[in-house]
Amino acid sequence: MAINQTNRASIDGGEAGANREPARADFVSLEALRMAGLRARLTPGRLVLTLAVLLAVLLIAAAFAIAIGSEHISLSALVKILISETTGRAFDVVPEQKTIIWDIRFPRVLMGIIVGAGLSVAGTAYQALLRNPLADPYILGVSTGAAVGALSATVFAESIPVSRPVAAFIGAVLTIAIVYILGQSRQGGSSERLILAGVITNAFLSSVVIFLVTAVADSRLRSVFSWLIGDLSGEPGLLAVVAGLILAGIVIIYLNARSLNLLMVGEQEALALGVEVRRVKIVVYVAASLITGAAVAVSGVIGFVGLIIPHAVRLVGGSDNRLVVPASALVGGSFLLFADTVARTVIAPRELHIGVITALIGAPIFVYLLRRTS
Amino acid sequence: MLQIKDIRFGYKEPVLKGLSFEVRPGELLSVLGPNGSGKSSLLKIIVGILKPAGGSVLLDGRDLTAMARREAARLIGYVAQESAVRFPLTAMEFILQGRFAQGRLVGFESEDDMREAAWAMEKTGTIEFASRPINELSGGERQRVMLARALASRPALLVLDEPVANLDISHQVKMLDLVKSLTSEGELSAIVVTHELNLAAEFSTRVLMIKDGEALACGAPREALTEERLRALFDADLLVDVNPASGAPRITVLSTSAGAGGRASQSK
Repeated sequence: MAINQTNRASIDGGEAGANREPARADFVSLEALRMAGLRARLTPGRLVLTLAVLLAVLLIAAAFAIAIGSEHISLSALVKILISETTGRAFDVVPEQKTIIWDIRFPRVLMGIIVGAGLSVAGTAYQALLRNPLADPYILGVSTGAAVGALSATVFAESIPVSRPVAAFIGAVLTIAIVYILGQSRQGGSSERLILAGVITNAFLSSVVIFLVTAVADSRLRSVFSWLIGDLSGEPGLLAVVAGLILAGIVIIYLNARSLNLLMVGEQEALALGVEVRRVKIVVYVAASLITGAAVAVSGVIGFVGLIIPHAVRLVGGSDNRLVVPASALVGGSFLLFADTVARTVIAPRELHIGVITALIGAPIFVYLLRRTS
Repeated sequence: MLQIKDIRFGYKEPVLKGLSFEVRPGELLSVLGPNGSGKSSLLKIIVGILKPAGGSVLLDGRDLTAMARREAARLIGYVAQESAVRFPLTAMEFILQGRFAQGRLVGFESEDDMREAAWAMEKTGTIEFASRPINELSGGERQRVMLARALASRPALLVLDEPVANLDISHQVKMLDLVKSLTSEGELSAIVVTHELNLAAEFSTRVLMIKDGEALACGAPREALTEERLRALFDADLLVDVNPASGAPRITVLSTSAGAGGRASQSK
């Protein structure tokens, strides 16, 4: 109480504050609130517990994703290989298995986790900023915009290192700016209008993508096409750069989670409640576009992840972005590992594209959400 | 405590043309005027959502328009017309948003935040539905939750934009009773925009009448709400007499369509 009083005096600074007393909610209501509070709001304890469970799920999913495939590897062999690689101790490991795990599946699993986490957090951010539970990097056209950027780099500036993630980022930022402006009406942005703006932009950018693809030399057409549909197997060399960019984006968005909680309700109200709306919007839009650009540069257009994952998290854990952002990252990572394992195994020895799996799962869920929200 | 001096604001056409008035400590000031008279713009300028083109907004001598958002948010509680929440926030999460300006930007609510929120919820009777999603509450319940969020920052001034527009008569009275009791306890002052003339006459300490961006009158309901002024203000035919129960002015609106009775039809 004493702390509260000094705070108050320093805040008000004038006579008006001097005779106002600190709040005196009586003991009973504070207790009643504490009991209700367990379900009514996010507590640090619930956050930690939830994230711990989700992290465990992610690790198990990763272990299965490494073990399952055309060359089946037992979990004990997997553990042995991991230990021998990290500690340098010799184990009776099969060298071919070691190569498959260490050089092929492990980078692919890391890529799946980082891309899944990134797309889910980007989706969470766009949804909060646009106050629209249907927003997603793919539906808004941002992923295709990033693909245009990455493809342009492939066609025009291939010799410059990391030109693809950078160009993809620029494509993503420009696209979200255009969609945002198109989605505004005089009364402010409506949900359907925004989605429509995304669809139109997506259609336009898709033609640009096809135009650029035809400009690519025939010898590379197959790999470019494969990347475009969504594929986690390409370019392990970019893994470190992309992981760094995506992690930075996730941290930036997490640091703004409280502001996003208020923005989610309304911009004017957020302003009235003390949020520096302009600054938060710019920072989070840029961070989400950074994530989308980096993810698209390595794995192409993987749709609907950013839509489904935050929605599922909110359904179980509530809408507080201090939970939704990190939990979506972990669940998104697990989900993409699952989708990729399915893609690798259903028609083995051939592989499906992961973008096909996510779209087959995601599009019906989008329709369901659209019907429910409007 | 709140002094508005010569406020000007407009888009293409001027909306507010040099408006001046003050809100005194512990009073409930109602702002009355026809649609498009600039009432909502005025509130948004006080709250800091809109920037005035000229003039000053002083709270206890300090310029609100020049203040950082967080600092201003600690002094003023705003209840918007309607909050369209499309995410399933609980009532309590919503109310705790009122503590944003006091808390850390990153992290969780402190004991202090919980205590102040508990006070606001106790005042508004919202504790019982703390854990319910806000989009499942009734209109009256949601309005109380919005009021609780504004109170949670313990503001010196409460700003309410049509707080009773979507409520039935019983909830309208309860809502204004609550605001009135907060002001008369000396906790805060309140400025309310409303179209409910009779409720304004009943509950307000003073009323401010705005027409075309200018103050037509400002004073106690009994002096300000005359038949002549109200007719000029709303461009409507109406009668003003005295509420037999409270002694406040009572406004009766008359229909202008033929055959519906009243003086308008007689004059034809």
